[in-house]
Amino acid sequence: MIEFLVRRAFISAVTLLLISLIVFTGVRMIPGDPARVLAGTDADAAGLEEIREKYGLDAPLPVQYLRWLGLAVTGDLGESIRTRTSVAWMVATKLPITVELALLSLLVAVAIAIPAGVLAAVRRNTAWDVLASGVSLCGVSVPNFWLGIMLILIVSVRFGWLPASGFVPLAEDPLGNLKRMVMPALVLGTGLAAVLMRQTRNAMIEVLSADYVRTARAKGLAQMAVVVRHALRNGLIPVVTILGLQMGALMGGAVVTEQIFVLPGFGRLIVEAVFTRDYPVVQGVVLITASSYVLINLLVDVSYSVLNPRIRIRGTADGA
Amino acid sequence: MAPDAASPAFPLPLAAEAAPPSGLLHRAWRVGRRRPAALVGATIVALFVVMAVGAPWIATHDPVRTDWAKIRKAPSWAHPFGTDDLGRDGFSRVVWGARISMQAGVFSILFAMAIGVPVGLVAGYYRGALDQLIMRLTDAWLAFPFLILAIGLVTILGPSLTNATLAIGLGATPTYIRLTRGLVLSTKEEDYVQGARALGAGDLRVMTRHLLPNVASAILVQATVAIPTAIIAEAVLSFLGLGVQPPAPSWGTMLNAAQQFLEQAPWMAYWPGLAIFFLALSFNLAGDGLRDVLDPRDY
Repeated sequence: MIEFLVRRAFISAVTLLLISLIVFTGVRMIPGDPARVLAGTDADAAGLEEIREKYGLDAPLPVQYLRWLGLAVTGDLGESIRTRTSVAWMVATKLPITVELALLSLLVAVAIAIPAGVLAAVRRNTAWDVLASGVSLCGVSVPNFWLGIMLILIVSVRFGWLPASGFVPLAEDPLGNLKRMVMPALVLGTGLAAVLMRQTRNAMIEVLSADYVRTARAKGLAQMAVVVRHALRNGLIPVVTILGLQMGALMGGAVVTEQIFVLPGFGRLIVEAVFTRDYPVVQGVVLITASSYVLINLLVDVSYSVLNPRIRIRGTADGA
Repeated sequence: MAPDAASPAFPLPLAAEAAPPSGLLHRAWRVGRRRPAALVGATIVALFVVMAVGAPWIATHDPVRTDWAKIRKAPSWAHPFGTDDLGRDGFSRVVWGARISMQAGVFSILFAMAIGVPVGLVAGYYRGALDQLIMRLTDAWLAFPFLILAIGLVTILGPSLTNATLAIGLGATPTYIRLTRGLVLSTKEEDYVQGARALGAGDLRVMTRHLLPNVASAILVQATVAIPTAIIAEAVLSFLGLGVQPPAPSWGTMLNAAQQFLEQAPWMAYWPGLAIFFLALSFNLAGDGLRDVLDPRDY
């Protein structure tokens, strides 16, 4: 088990290093003087000199990379060209909004996908199954930003039930916050639900044909008890992995969703940064997103190796 | 070192490769009958292709010509999809948009395959340190959420259709590296590959003549399901202003404009979104069918 954890952590560390290398190289591919790229076009000579000094831009590239990495690890991701505030601070203030959106979306996705997936598996090859699969296929095919626009059109414009945009901090006005988060969470959550539902169905079909489920049935347990207490517990394991892997899609989806519903989260931060050519912010957000994706998936893997002894033992042979 | 002399010695895989045409069509017909949804999907994809290719003849108006007298007109006989905020014909813009979406969807995946398949082939065939390096880089690349990566790349390259296509393609590349490598790892242990090698076939010949044809169908199936994702990604990038630039008619940019006039002209938002939805849905349906045709072992 320790060997598995060490191995898994080592691979994640290597991946994180490579991610930093890719991000560093990416910013260096922007044409022009790197000092000007990082300080902005209207920076004066002193400002440029400061940046050159800080990142060691006169030193060879590997040295520059190491210096940049050293700063990044200590939380110094540079300064925004536009606002002159620290990138780490900007991300830290925007992140809670995106995290709230992501958690609510996850809740929506799980609430739809797990019952629907289980139902489709239990009633396999019936009208329920076909309906669930059809809805899931539509969910994967529908662009979520269009779904958002349609929701605004119907719920806000036509009926005026919910505000179309804007944000109220959770601490200030919990109800107002929730009212503005319902539609974005639905939009982001349904896309994820479509993927999760398919996985739940497939996993449950496999588990329901396992010997121990047959034994549980043979003992005369009620269908509900067999499905929920015996099958679902094991069936959910692969679903949790998929959930971890889908975090990337969730973060990407948050960018568009925040744009449509005008939520000042970090998805909006990156889009604004792209338009104002605020490279340090883009660099910081991309680096943080990719790193958190790796860390989340590491946590998912570790959490199950603790929960499930079978993975703990077999896991040592697992390369991923 | 006698690669050419090796070929007649193992006719089995070659015969298996040469046989399909009639068999494949026959199986396609059987699958189509068993899964009408796949057939419908393929037909709709074909219709979109016709629309993309025939846009100049199908569109009733110039998609970029503005007409101040016809700003935000509701659907009518003259303009079945209505007009937009600059008086342009909605129907013609949706028709021309098919060309952009198809182009971005298909070319980005072709690009991803052009890089991913050879790299995966080499990694899986040679293994060792090179394979480790490629796979760790692939893992790191995969850690970037698809859209965030595309946004980062478009920031470096600048917003345009070509760059959005490249960015989406680069985002999809690791999937093909992984898939091809995995398939090669299992295929290269097959007897006919070992046989070819024993008969003196060189690495390049084994890879291109024996491994590639045998992993091609799985890669093709993956491509069909990746295209709708790429189409949606292009629409998202264009919606955010990072893809196709106005006044070019892209479904994403049309939805961006539509969002500002939801109260006055809701029809601007219906058609481009429905077009993306139907195109993505039909690719997904057709992809499911294609999997049945090309890879019957799965079922």
